[in-house]
Amino acid sequence: MAGDPLTDRKPANDKTAWALRGLVVLFGVLTAAFLLNLWGRSVPLRPIPLVDPSFLDTATVRRSYANLVQAKEDLSDFDCYVCHEKNKPPVLRYDAKQNLIIPPEHSDIVMGHGEHGRNNNCFNCHNETNLEQLQTRDGRVVKFQDSPQLCGSCHGPTFEDWEAGAHGRISGYWDRKLGPFKRQDCVNCHNPHSPKFPGRKPAPGPHLLRGWFKPSATAATGH
Amino acid sequence: MSLPASILNQDPSAPGADMSRRSFLRTSAVLASGLAALAASLSPLRELDDQLSLERFVQKYYKELTPDEMAQVLKRIEREVEKEYGIRPHVRDLKPMDGVEFVYALNLTRCIGCRKCVHACVEENNQSRTPEIQYIRVLRMPHGSLDIEKAEHNYAPESVPEKGYFYMPVQCQQCKNPPCVKVCPVHATWQETDGITVVDYDWCIGCRYCEAACPYWARRFNFTRPSIPKERINPEMAYLGNRPRRMGVMEKCHFCIQRTRVGRYPACLEVCPAGARKFGNILDPSSEVAYILRTKRVFIQLKEDLGTSPRFFYYFDV
Repeated sequence: MAGDPLTDRKPANDKTAWALRGLVVLFGVLTAAFLLNLWGRSVPLRPIPLVDPSFLDTATVRRSYANLVQAKEDLSDFDCYVCHEKNKPPVLRYDAKQNLIIPPEHSDIVMGHGEHGRNNNCFNCHNETNLEQLQTRDGRVVKFQDSPQLCGSCHGPTFEDWEAGAHGRISGYWDRKLGPFKRQDCVNCHNPHSPKFPGRKPAPGPHLLRGWFKPSATAATGH
Repeated sequence: MSLPASILNQDPSAPGADMSRRSFLRTSAVLASGLAALAASLSPLRELDDQLSLERFVQKYYKELTPDEMAQVLKRIEREVEKEYGIRPHVRDLKPMDGVEFVYALNLTRCIGCRKCVHACVEENNQSRTPEIQYIRVLRMPHGSLDIEKAEHNYAPESVPEKGYFYMPVQCQQCKNPPCVKVCPVHATWQETDGITVVDYDWCIGCRYCEAACPYWARRFNFTRPSIPKERINPEMAYLGNRPRRMGVMEKCHFCIQRTRVGRYPACLEVCPAGARKFGNILDPSSEVAYILRTKRVFIQLKEDLGTSPRFFYYFDV
Protein backbone atom coordinates (compact mmCIF):
# COMPACT_ATOMS: atom_id res chain seq x y z
CA MET A 1 0.00 0.00 0.00
CA ALA A 2 2.83 2.29 0.81
CA GLY A 3 4.08 1.49 -2.67
CA ASP A 4 1.37 3.54 -4.24
CA PRO A 5 2.25 7.21 -4.08
CA LEU A 6 -1.10 8.38 -5.41
CA THR A 7 -3.12 6.94 -2.56
CA ASP A 8 -0.60 8.13 0.01
CA ARG A 9 -0.84 11.81 -0.82
CA LYS A 10 -4.20 13.24 -0.02
CA PRO A 11 -4.23 16.25 -2.39
CA ALA A 12 -3.15 14.07 -5.34
CA ASN A 13 -5.94 11.62 -4.54
CA ASP A 14 -8.38 14.45 -4.61
CA LYS A 15 -7.16 15.47 -8.03
CA THR A 16 -7.47 11.89 -9.20
CA ALA A 17 -11.05 11.77 -8.10
CA TRP A 18 -11.86 14.93 -10.02
CA ALA A 19 -10.00 13.70 -13.08
CA LEU A 20 -11.93 10.44 -12.93
CA ARG A 21 -15.23 12.24 -12.66
CA GLY A 22 -14.26 14.36 -15.63
CA LEU A 23 -13.32 11.27 -17.58
CA VAL A 24 -16.62 9.60 -16.78
CA VAL A 25 -18.49 12.62 -18.10
CA LEU A 26 -16.23 12.83 -21.16
CA PHE A 27 -16.66 9.16 -21.95
CA GLY A 28 -20.38 9.49 -21.41
CA VAL A 29 -20.56 12.33 -23.90
CA LEU A 30 -18.36 10.44 -26.35
CA THR A 31 -20.53 7.36 -26.06
CA ALA A 32 -23.64 9.35 -26.72
CA ALA A 33 -21.97 11.03 -29.67
CA PHE A 34 -20.78 7.76 -31.16
CA LEU A 35 -24.09 6.01 -30.64
CA LEU A 36 -25.98 8.87 -32.23
CA ASN A 37 -23.28 9.01 -34.88
CA LEU A 38 -22.95 12.76 -34.50
CA TRP A 39 -19.84 12.97 -36.60
CA GLY A 40 -18.15 10.74 -39.08
CA ARG A 41 -21.53 10.06 -40.61
CA SER A 42 -20.90 9.81 -44.30
CA VAL A 43 -22.79 12.39 -46.28
CA PRO A 44 -24.94 10.46 -48.71
CA LEU A 45 -23.64 10.76 -52.26
CA ARG A 46 -25.75 12.77 -54.59
CA PRO A 47 -27.01 10.23 -57.12
CA ILE A 48 -25.55 10.79 -60.54
CA PRO A 49 -28.24 10.43 -63.19
CA LEU A 50 -27.85 7.41 -65.43
CA VAL A 51 -26.68 8.22 -68.88
CA ASP A 52 -29.30 8.48 -71.60
CA PRO A 53 -29.52 5.12 -73.44
CA SER A 54 -29.13 6.93 -76.75
CA PHE A 55 -25.45 7.34 -75.88
CA LEU A 56 -25.10 3.56 -75.61
CA ASP A 57 -26.69 2.91 -78.98
CA THR A 58 -24.36 1.16 -81.41
CA ALA A 59 -26.56 1.92 -84.41
CA THR A 60 -25.01 3.79 -87.29
CA VAL A 61 -25.76 7.42 -88.01
CA ARG A 62 -27.68 6.51 -91.19
CA ARG A 63 -29.13 3.44 -92.83
CA SER A 64 -27.99 2.33 -96.22
CA TYR A 65 -30.08 0.99 -99.09
CA ALA A 66 -28.66 -2.44 -98.30
CA ASN A 67 -29.91 -2.12 -94.71
CA LEU A 68 -33.40 -1.23 -95.89
CA VAL A 69 -33.47 -4.18 -98.27
CA GLN A 70 -32.28 -6.50 -95.54
CA ALA A 71 -34.87 -5.24 -93.05
CA LYS A 72 -37.55 -5.48 -95.78
CA GLU A 73 -38.52 -1.87 -95.24
CA ASP A 74 -40.22 0.70 -97.35
CA LEU A 75 -38.11 1.32 -100.46
CA SER A 76 -40.47 3.74 -102.18
CA ASP A 77 -37.81 6.46 -101.93
CA PHE A 78 -35.75 4.45 -104.38
CA ASP A 79 -38.65 3.88 -106.75
CA CYS A 80 -37.64 6.63 -109.16
CA TYR A 81 -39.95 5.76 -112.04
CA VAL A 82 -43.09 6.39 -110.05
CA CYS A 83 -42.50 10.04 -110.92
CA HIS A 84 -39.73 10.07 -113.53
CA GLU A 85 -40.32 8.85 -117.02
CA LYS A 86 -38.28 5.94 -118.33
CA ASN A 87 -35.75 6.57 -121.12
CA LYS A 88 -36.03 10.30 -120.54
CA PRO A 89 -33.09 11.66 -118.53
CA PRO A 90 -34.24 14.44 -116.17
CA VAL A 91 -33.10 17.93 -117.12
CA LEU A 92 -30.92 19.72 -114.58
CA ARG A 93 -31.49 23.43 -114.04
CA TYR A 94 -28.95 25.89 -112.68
CA ASP A 95 -29.18 29.41 -111.31
CA ALA A 96 -26.90 32.27 -112.37
CA LYS A 97 -24.12 31.13 -109.99
CA GLN A 98 -24.12 27.65 -111.45
CA ASN A 99 -25.84 26.26 -108.32
CA LEU A 100 -28.18 23.40 -109.01
CA ILE A 101 -31.83 24.32 -108.58
CA ILE A 102 -33.28 21.49 -106.50
CA PRO A 103 -36.88 20.72 -107.46
CA PRO A 104 -39.40 20.72 -104.58
CA GLU A 105 -39.85 16.93 -104.89
CA HIS A 106 -36.23 16.53 -103.78
CA SER A 107 -36.18 19.31 -101.19
CA ASP A 108 -34.69 16.94 -98.61
CA ILE A 109 -31.44 16.88 -100.56
CA VAL A 110 -28.69 19.28 -99.49
CA MET A 111 -26.04 19.66 -102.16
CA GLY A 112 -22.90 19.60 -100.07
CA HIS A 113 -20.61 17.06 -101.66
CA GLY A 114 -17.32 18.76 -102.41
CA GLU A 115 -16.19 22.31 -101.83
CA HIS A 116 -17.57 25.48 -103.43
CA GLY A 117 -20.55 23.76 -105.02
CA ARG A 118 -18.39 22.37 -107.81
CA ASN A 119 -19.90 18.91 -107.58
CA ASN A 120 -23.25 20.11 -108.86
CA ASN A 121 -24.20 17.49 -111.42
CA CYS A 122 -26.51 14.71 -110.22
CA PHE A 123 -25.16 12.45 -112.94
CA ASN A 124 -21.66 12.54 -111.51
CA CYS A 125 -22.96 9.63 -109.43
CA HIS A 126 -26.49 8.83 -110.57
CA ASN A 127 -27.07 7.01 -113.82
CA GLU A 128 -29.18 9.27 -116.05
CA THR A 129 -30.38 6.42 -118.24
CA ASN A 130 -31.43 4.24 -115.29
CA LEU A 131 -32.13 6.32 -112.18
CA GLU A 132 -32.38 3.22 -110.02
CA GLN A 133 -28.67 2.68 -110.47
CA LEU A 134 -25.48 4.62 -109.96
CA GLN A 135 -22.54 5.20 -112.25
CA THR A 136 -18.88 6.08 -111.87
CA ARG A 137 -17.26 8.83 -113.93
CA ASP A 138 -15.73 6.25 -116.24
CA GLY A 139 -19.16 4.78 -116.98
CA ARG A 140 -19.21 1.70 -114.77
CA VAL A 141 -22.77 1.03 -113.58
CA VAL A 142 -23.07 0.34 -109.83
CA LYS A 143 -26.09 -0.90 -107.92
CA PHE A 144 -27.29 1.02 -104.86
CA GLN A 145 -26.27 -1.91 -102.65
CA ASP A 146 -22.70 -1.67 -103.92
CA SER A 147 -22.32 2.07 -103.42
CA PRO A 148 -18.83 1.80 -101.81
CA GLN A 149 -17.53 0.88 -105.27
CA LEU A 150 -18.83 4.19 -106.54
CA CYS A 151 -17.37 6.18 -103.63
CA GLY A 152 -14.06 4.37 -104.09
CA SER A 153 -13.85 5.41 -107.72
CA CYS A 154 -12.99 8.92 -106.54
CA HIS A 155 -11.82 8.39 -102.95
CA GLY A 156 -9.16 5.78 -103.68
CA PRO A 157 -6.96 5.96 -100.56
CA THR A 158 -9.96 6.09 -98.24
CA PHE A 159 -11.46 3.13 -100.06
CA GLU A 160 -8.24 1.22 -99.56
CA ASP A 161 -8.31 2.04 -95.83
CA TRP A 162 -11.94 1.00 -95.67
CA GLU A 163 -11.23 -2.34 -97.29
CA ALA A 164 -8.41 -2.94 -94.82
CA GLY A 165 -10.76 -2.05 -91.95
CA ALA A 166 -8.83 1.10 -91.06
CA HIS A 167 -11.54 3.55 -92.13
CA GLY A 168 -15.12 3.33 -90.98
CA ARG A 169 -16.98 1.27 -88.47
CA ILE A 170 -16.47 -2.40 -87.75
CA SER A 171 -18.22 -4.63 -85.26
CA GLY A 172 -18.37 -8.28 -84.33
CA TYR A 173 -15.27 -10.44 -84.09
CA TRP A 174 -11.67 -9.28 -84.53
CA ASP A 175 -10.77 -12.97 -84.75
CA ARG A 176 -12.39 -13.93 -88.04
CA LYS A 177 -12.01 -17.61 -87.18
CA LEU A 178 -14.23 -17.30 -84.13
CA GLY A 179 -17.14 -15.38 -85.54
CA PRO A 180 -18.53 -12.95 -88.10
CA PHE A 181 -17.65 -9.30 -88.39
CA LYS A 182 -19.56 -6.49 -89.99
CA ARG A 183 -18.04 -3.62 -91.92
CA GLN A 184 -20.36 -0.65 -92.39
CA ASP A 185 -20.78 0.98 -95.79
CA CYS A 186 -19.78 4.56 -96.57
CA VAL A 187 -23.42 5.71 -96.57
CA ASN A 188 -24.02 4.29 -93.09
CA CYS A 189 -22.10 7.30 -91.78
CA HIS A 190 -21.92 9.77 -94.67
CA ASN A 191 -24.89 11.32 -96.39
CA PRO A 192 -23.82 10.99 -100.04
CA HIS A 193 -25.28 14.40 -100.89
CA SER A 194 -23.58 16.07 -97.94
CA PRO A 195 -20.91 13.72 -96.68
CA LYS A 196 -19.39 15.70 -93.84
CA PHE A 197 -19.91 13.70 -90.65
CA PRO A 198 -22.65 15.48 -88.69
CA GLY A 199 -22.01 17.04 -85.30
CA ARG A 200 -23.86 15.74 -82.29
CA LYS A 201 -24.49 16.47 -78.64
CA PRO A 202 -21.74 15.03 -76.47
CA ALA A 203 -22.54 12.61 -73.64
CA PRO A 204 -22.21 14.05 -70.12
CA GLY A 205 -18.69 14.60 -68.84
CA PRO A 206 -17.18 13.22 -65.66
CA HIS A 207 -18.68 13.97 -62.22
CA LEU A 208 -16.78 14.47 -58.98
CA LEU A 209 -17.35 12.20 -55.99
CA ARG A 210 -18.84 15.17 -54.17
CA GLY A 211 -19.82 18.46 -55.74
CA TRP A 212 -19.85 19.25 -59.40
CA PHE A 213 -17.41 20.55 -61.93
CA LYS A 214 -18.11 23.91 -63.38
CA PRO A 215 -17.93 23.37 -67.10
CA SER A 216 -15.37 25.96 -67.99
CA ALA A 217 -16.25 28.20 -70.86
CA THR A 218 -13.80 28.02 -73.72
CA ALA A 219 -10.75 27.45 -71.55
CA ALA A 220 -7.56 28.49 -73.21
CA THR A 221 -7.05 29.54 -76.75
CA GLY A 222 -3.83 27.60 -76.82
CA HIS A 223 -1.73 30.51 -77.98
CA MET B 1 -2.38 8.52 -15.17
CA SER B 2 -5.44 8.51 -12.99
CA LEU B 3 -7.25 5.59 -14.57
CA PRO B 4 -4.42 3.05 -14.35
CA ALA B 5 -3.70 4.24 -10.83
CA SER B 6 -7.13 3.30 -9.58
CA ILE B 7 -6.90 -0.07 -11.27
CA LEU B 8 -3.43 -0.71 -9.95
CA ASN B 9 -4.80 -0.13 -6.48
CA GLN B 10 -6.10 -3.63 -6.48
CA ASP B 11 -2.97 -5.05 -4.91
CA PRO B 12 -3.42 -8.85 -4.63
CA SER B 13 -1.58 -8.89 -1.32
CA ALA B 14 -4.31 -6.79 0.26
CA PRO B 15 -7.58 -7.66 -1.44
CA GLY B 16 -10.06 -4.85 -1.50
CA ALA B 17 -7.84 -2.69 0.62
CA ASP B 18 -8.55 0.61 -1.15
CA MET B 19 -11.60 -0.52 -3.02
CA SER B 20 -14.44 1.41 -1.56
CA ARG B 21 -17.92 1.08 -2.96
CA ARG B 22 -17.58 4.52 -4.47
CA SER B 23 -14.28 3.83 -6.26
CA PHE B 24 -15.59 0.50 -7.54
CA LEU B 25 -18.63 2.16 -9.09
CA ARG B 26 -16.49 4.92 -10.43
CA THR B 27 -14.01 2.56 -12.07
CA SER B 28 -16.78 0.40 -13.47
CA ALA B 29 -18.55 3.39 -14.92
CA VAL B 30 -15.36 4.59 -16.59
CA LEU B 31 -14.60 1.16 -17.98
CA ALA B 32 -18.13 0.54 -19.19
CA SER B 33 -18.49 3.85 -20.92
CA GLY B 34 -15.00 3.48 -22.40
CA LEU B 35 -15.86 0.10 -23.84
CA ALA B 36 -19.16 1.37 -25.14
CA ALA B 37 -17.39 4.24 -26.84
CA LEU B 38 -14.90 1.84 -28.40
CA ALA B 39 -17.67 -0.40 -29.67
CA ALA B 40 -19.55 2.57 -31.06
CA SER B 41 -16.48 3.87 -32.83
CA LEU B 42 -15.97 0.49 -34.47
CA SER B 43 -19.58 0.30 -35.57
CA PRO B 44 -18.85 1.35 -39.19
CA LEU B 45 -17.21 -2.06 -39.55
CA ARG B 46 -20.70 -3.55 -39.30
CA GLU B 47 -21.42 -2.08 -42.72
CA LEU B 48 -18.67 -4.24 -44.15
CA ASP B 49 -20.75 -7.36 -43.55
CA ASP B 50 -20.44 -8.88 -47.02
CA GLN B 51 -17.10 -7.28 -47.72
CA LEU B 52 -15.04 -10.14 -46.41
CA SER B 53 -16.09 -13.73 -46.52
CA LEU B 54 -13.96 -16.49 -45.06
CA GLU B 55 -13.91 -18.14 -48.46
CA ARG B 56 -12.36 -15.13 -50.07
CA PHE B 57 -10.04 -14.56 -47.14
CA VAL B 58 -8.43 -17.98 -47.55
CA GLN B 59 -8.44 -17.85 -51.36
CA LYS B 60 -5.06 -18.56 -52.95
CA TYR B 61 -3.14 -16.31 -55.33
CA TYR B 62 -4.64 -16.26 -58.84
CA LYS B 63 -1.66 -17.90 -60.50
CA GLU B 64 -1.56 -20.69 -57.93
CA LEU B 65 -5.20 -21.68 -58.27
CA THR B 66 -5.80 -25.10 -59.77
CA PRO B 67 -8.64 -25.36 -62.32
CA ASP B 68 -10.83 -27.00 -59.67
CA GLU B 69 -10.16 -24.26 -57.18
CA MET B 70 -10.81 -21.66 -59.86
CA ALA B 71 -14.18 -23.27 -60.60
CA GLN B 72 -15.01 -22.93 -56.90
CA VAL B 73 -13.97 -19.29 -56.92
CA LEU B 74 -16.10 -18.56 -59.98
CA LYS B 75 -19.07 -20.24 -58.27
CA ARG B 76 -18.51 -18.09 -55.20
CA ILE B 77 -18.47 -14.93 -57.34
CA GLU B 78 -21.64 -15.96 -59.13
CA ARG B 79 -23.27 -16.55 -55.76
CA GLU B 80 -22.14 -13.20 -54.39
CA VAL B 81 -23.29 -11.30 -57.47
CA GLU B 82 -26.64 -13.05 -57.43
CA LYS B 83 -27.08 -12.20 -53.76
CA GLU B 84 -26.32 -8.56 -54.30
CA TYR B 85 -27.92 -7.88 -57.69
CA GLY B 86 -30.47 -10.65 -58.10
CA ILE B 87 -29.01 -11.68 -61.43
CA ARG B 88 -27.26 -14.96 -62.06
CA PRO B 89 -24.13 -13.94 -63.96
CA HIS B 90 -21.94 -16.05 -66.21
CA VAL B 91 -18.43 -15.63 -64.81
CA ARG B 92 -15.48 -17.08 -66.66
CA ASP B 93 -11.75 -17.15 -66.19
CA LEU B 94 -10.54 -16.41 -69.72
CA LYS B 95 -6.89 -17.10 -70.45
CA PRO B 96 -4.82 -15.26 -73.08
CA MET B 97 -4.84 -16.80 -76.56
CA ASP B 98 -1.68 -18.14 -78.10
CA GLY B 99 -0.03 -15.97 -80.74
CA VAL B 100 -2.08 -12.94 -79.84
CA GLU B 101 -0.85 -9.56 -78.71
CA PHE B 102 -3.48 -6.85 -78.54
CA VAL B 103 -2.90 -3.37 -79.85
CA TYR B 104 -5.28 -0.44 -79.94
CA ALA B 105 -5.10 2.36 -82.47
CA LEU B 106 -7.10 5.57 -82.23
CA ASN B 107 -7.62 7.92 -85.15
CA LEU B 108 -7.34 11.49 -83.88
CA THR B 109 -8.56 12.83 -87.23
CA ARG B 110 -11.86 11.00 -86.79
CA CYS B 111 -12.59 11.34 -83.08
CA ILE B 112 -15.39 13.87 -82.58
CA GLY B 113 -15.29 13.91 -78.78
CA CYS B 114 -18.84 12.62 -78.25
CA ARG B 115 -17.88 10.51 -75.18
CA LYS B 116 -20.01 7.56 -76.29
CA CYS B 117 -17.02 5.27 -75.71
CA VAL B 118 -16.86 6.41 -72.09
CA HIS B 119 -20.41 5.33 -71.36
CA ALA B 120 -20.39 2.17 -73.44
CA CYS B 121 -17.37 1.13 -71.37
CA VAL B 122 -19.16 1.85 -68.09
CA GLU B 123 -22.12 -0.20 -69.26
CA GLU B 124 -20.04 -3.13 -70.49
CA ASN B 125 -17.69 -3.30 -67.54
CA ASN B 126 -20.11 -2.91 -64.63
CA GLN B 127 -18.52 0.25 -63.36
CA SER B 128 -20.02 2.09 -60.42
CA ARG B 129 -22.59 4.72 -61.45
CA THR B 130 -22.68 6.60 -58.11
CA PRO B 131 -19.89 7.36 -57.41
CA GLU B 132 -18.94 7.44 -61.02
CA ILE B 133 -16.04 5.38 -62.28
CA GLN B 134 -15.00 5.76 -65.89
CA TYR B 135 -11.99 4.18 -67.55
CA ILE B 136 -11.86 6.58 -70.50
CA ARG B 137 -11.23 10.29 -70.22
CA VAL B 138 -11.69 12.38 -73.35
CA LEU B 139 -9.34 15.37 -73.49
CA ARG B 140 -10.04 18.41 -75.60
CA MET B 141 -7.08 20.39 -76.90
CA PRO B 142 -6.78 23.28 -79.34
CA HIS B 143 -5.53 22.47 -82.80
CA GLY B 144 -1.80 22.78 -83.11
CA SER B 145 -1.03 21.91 -79.50
CA LEU B 146 -0.54 18.77 -77.52
CA ASP B 147 -0.22 19.97 -73.96
CA ILE B 148 -2.04 17.31 -72.01
CA GLU B 149 -1.61 19.18 -68.73
CA LYS B 150 -3.74 21.99 -70.14
CA ALA B 151 -6.31 19.76 -71.76
CA GLU B 152 -9.97 20.27 -70.92
CA HIS B 153 -12.14 17.28 -70.05
CA ASN B 154 -15.30 19.00 -68.82
CA TYR B 155 -16.26 20.49 -72.16
CA ALA B 156 -20.04 20.59 -72.61
CA PRO B 157 -20.97 22.35 -75.85
CA GLU B 158 -24.26 21.89 -77.65
CA SER B 159 -22.55 20.02 -80.43
CA VAL B 160 -19.20 18.34 -81.00
CA PRO B 161 -16.77 18.53 -82.71
CA GLU B 162 -16.07 22.18 -81.96
CA LYS B 163 -14.21 24.33 -84.40
CA GLY B 164 -10.52 24.68 -83.59
CA TYR B 165 -10.28 21.72 -81.24
CA PHE B 166 -9.39 18.08 -81.39
CA TYR B 167 -10.25 15.32 -78.96
CA MET B 168 -8.03 12.67 -77.47
CA PRO B 169 -9.55 9.83 -75.46
CA VAL B 170 -7.12 8.43 -72.89
CA GLN B 171 -7.49 5.09 -71.16
CA CYS B 172 -5.14 2.37 -69.94
CA GLN B 173 -2.34 2.20 -72.49
CA GLN B 174 -1.52 -1.46 -71.71
CA CYS B 175 2.19 -0.63 -71.54
CA LYS B 176 4.84 -3.09 -72.49
CA ASN B 177 6.83 -1.75 -69.54
CA PRO B 178 4.09 -0.94 -67.03
CA PRO B 179 5.11 1.17 -64.01
CA CYS B 180 1.92 0.19 -62.18
CA VAL B 181 2.92 -3.47 -62.13
CA LYS B 182 6.37 -2.69 -60.76
CA VAL B 183 5.07 -0.83 -57.72
CA CYS B 184 2.37 -3.26 -56.63
CA PRO B 185 3.55 -4.62 -53.28
CA VAL B 186 1.36 -7.73 -53.43
CA HIS B 187 1.49 -8.64 -57.15
CA ALA B 188 -2.23 -8.04 -57.50
CA THR B 189 -1.65 -6.57 -60.96
CA TRP B 190 0.44 -8.05 -63.74
CA GLN B 191 0.88 -8.17 -67.48
CA GLU B 192 -0.54 -11.16 -69.34
CA THR B 193 0.99 -12.68 -72.45
CA ASP B 194 -1.53 -11.00 -74.75
CA GLY B 195 -0.39 -7.64 -73.44
CA ILE B 196 -3.28 -6.85 -71.14
CA THR B 197 -2.35 -5.64 -67.68
CA VAL B 198 -4.93 -7.10 -65.33
CA VAL B 199 -5.96 -6.56 -61.71
CA ASP B 200 -7.06 -9.33 -59.35
CA TYR B 201 -9.74 -7.53 -57.34
CA ASP B 202 -9.59 -10.24 -54.68
CA TRP B 203 -5.88 -9.75 -54.14
CA CYS B 204 -5.69 -5.95 -54.28
CA ILE B 205 -5.09 -4.31 -50.90
CA GLY B 206 -6.05 -0.83 -52.09
CA CYS B 207 -2.74 0.90 -51.41
CA ARG B 208 -3.09 2.93 -54.61
CA TYR B 209 0.63 2.81 -55.41
CA CYS B 210 -0.26 1.82 -58.97
CA GLU B 211 -2.54 4.81 -59.32
CA ALA B 212 0.34 7.05 -58.34
CA ALA B 213 2.76 5.25 -60.66
CA CYS B 214 0.58 5.42 -63.77
CA PRO B 215 1.55 8.37 -65.98
CA TYR B 216 -1.76 8.19 -67.85
CA TRP B 217 -4.19 8.55 -64.91
CA ALA B 218 -5.68 5.30 -66.10
CA ARG B 219 -6.35 3.59 -62.79
CA ARG B 220 -9.52 4.14 -60.80
CA PHE B 221 -10.01 3.51 -57.10
CA ASN B 222 -13.25 2.54 -55.37
CA PHE B 223 -13.23 5.09 -52.57
CA THR B 224 -16.76 4.21 -51.57
CA ARG B 225 -18.95 1.24 -52.11
CA PRO B 226 -19.72 1.00 -55.82
CA SER B 227 -23.36 1.01 -56.80
CA ILE B 228 -24.83 -0.31 -60.03
CA PRO B 229 -28.58 -0.42 -60.76
CA LYS B 230 -29.66 -4.06 -61.00
CA GLU B 231 -31.10 -3.64 -64.47
CA ARG B 232 -27.81 -2.26 -65.78
CA ILE B 233 -25.66 -5.25 -64.77
CA ASN B 234 -23.87 -6.95 -67.63
CA PRO B 235 -24.11 -10.64 -66.70
CA GLU B 236 -21.36 -11.77 -69.08
CA MET B 237 -18.37 -11.50 -66.75
CA ALA B 238 -14.71 -12.44 -66.49
CA TYR B 239 -12.66 -12.95 -63.34
CA LEU B 240 -9.95 -10.51 -64.40
CA GLY B 241 -12.45 -8.34 -66.22
CA ASN B 242 -15.83 -6.83 -65.49
CA ARG B 243 -17.08 -8.72 -62.43
CA PRO B 244 -18.36 -6.24 -59.85
CA ARG B 245 -15.70 -4.70 -57.65
CA ARG B 246 -15.71 -3.93 -53.93
CA MET B 247 -14.91 -0.81 -52.01
CA GLY B 248 -11.19 -0.33 -51.56
CA VAL B 249 -9.90 -1.98 -54.72
CA MET B 250 -8.31 -0.62 -57.85
CA GLU B 251 -9.68 -1.11 -61.33
CA LYS B 252 -8.93 0.03 -64.87
CA CYS B 253 -9.45 -0.66 -68.57
CA HIS B 254 -8.62 -4.24 -69.50
CA PHE B 255 -9.46 -4.06 -73.21
CA CYS B 256 -12.82 -5.71 -72.36
CA ILE B 257 -11.19 -9.03 -71.51
CA GLN B 258 -14.59 -10.76 -71.44
CA ARG B 259 -15.10 -9.81 -75.09
CA THR B 260 -11.65 -9.65 -76.65
CA ARG B 261 -10.48 -13.00 -75.30
CA VAL B 262 -13.36 -14.72 -77.04
CA GLY B 263 -12.55 -12.93 -80.29
CA ARG B 264 -14.89 -9.94 -80.12
CA TYR B 265 -14.14 -6.25 -80.41
CA PRO B 266 -14.14 -4.08 -77.27
CA ALA B 267 -17.30 -2.16 -76.38
CA CYS B 268 -15.75 1.29 -76.86
CA LEU B 269 -14.83 0.38 -80.43
CA GLU B 270 -18.25 -0.90 -81.41
CA VAL B 271 -20.06 2.17 -80.12
CA CYS B 272 -17.78 4.77 -81.72
CA PRO B 273 -20.02 6.53 -84.27
CA ALA B 274 -17.03 7.86 -86.20
CA GLY B 275 -15.09 4.62 -86.49
CA ALA B 276 -12.08 6.25 -84.85
CA ARG B 277 -11.17 3.21 -82.76
CA LYS B 278 -9.31 0.20 -84.12
CA PHE B 279 -8.29 -2.93 -82.30
CA GLY B 280 -6.69 -6.22 -83.15
CA ASN B 281 -3.87 -8.69 -82.96
CA ILE B 282 -0.61 -7.03 -83.94
CA LEU B 283 1.02 -10.43 -84.54
CA ASP B 284 -1.42 -11.02 -87.40
CA PRO B 285 -0.14 -9.04 -90.43
CA SER B 286 -3.62 -8.94 -91.97
CA SER B 287 -5.23 -7.26 -88.96
CA GLU B 288 -6.44 -3.66 -89.10
CA VAL B 289 -3.95 -2.52 -86.48
CA ALA B 290 -1.04 -4.07 -88.40
CA TYR B 291 -2.23 -2.22 -91.52
CA ILE B 292 -2.49 1.05 -89.60
CA LEU B 293 0.94 0.82 -88.00
CA ARG B 294 2.39 -0.09 -91.39
CA THR B 295 0.75 2.59 -93.51
CA LYS B 296 -0.51 5.43 -91.32
CA ARG B 297 1.15 8.40 -89.75
CA VAL B 298 1.22 6.92 -86.27
CA PHE B 299 2.49 9.88 -84.36
CA ILE B 300 2.63 8.92 -80.74
CA GLN B 301 2.64 6.56 -78.05
CA LEU B 302 1.45 8.96 -75.38
CA LYS B 303 4.36 10.17 -73.19
CA GLU B 304 6.66 7.99 -75.21
CA ASP B 305 9.69 9.56 -73.48
CA LEU B 306 8.84 7.74 -70.25
CA GLY B 307 9.80 4.43 -71.81
CA THR B 308 6.52 2.76 -70.90
CA SER B 309 6.01 1.65 -74.50
CA PRO B 310 2.20 1.68 -74.70
CA ARG B 311 0.23 -0.72 -76.84
CA PHE B 312 -2.17 2.14 -77.50
CA PHE B 313 -1.31 4.18 -80.57
CA TYR B 314 -2.69 7.50 -81.78
CA TYR B 315 -2.65 8.19 -85.49
CA PHE B 316 -3.77 10.60 -88.17
CA ASP B 317 -5.46 9.96 -91.48
CA VAL B 318 -3.52 12.48 -93.51
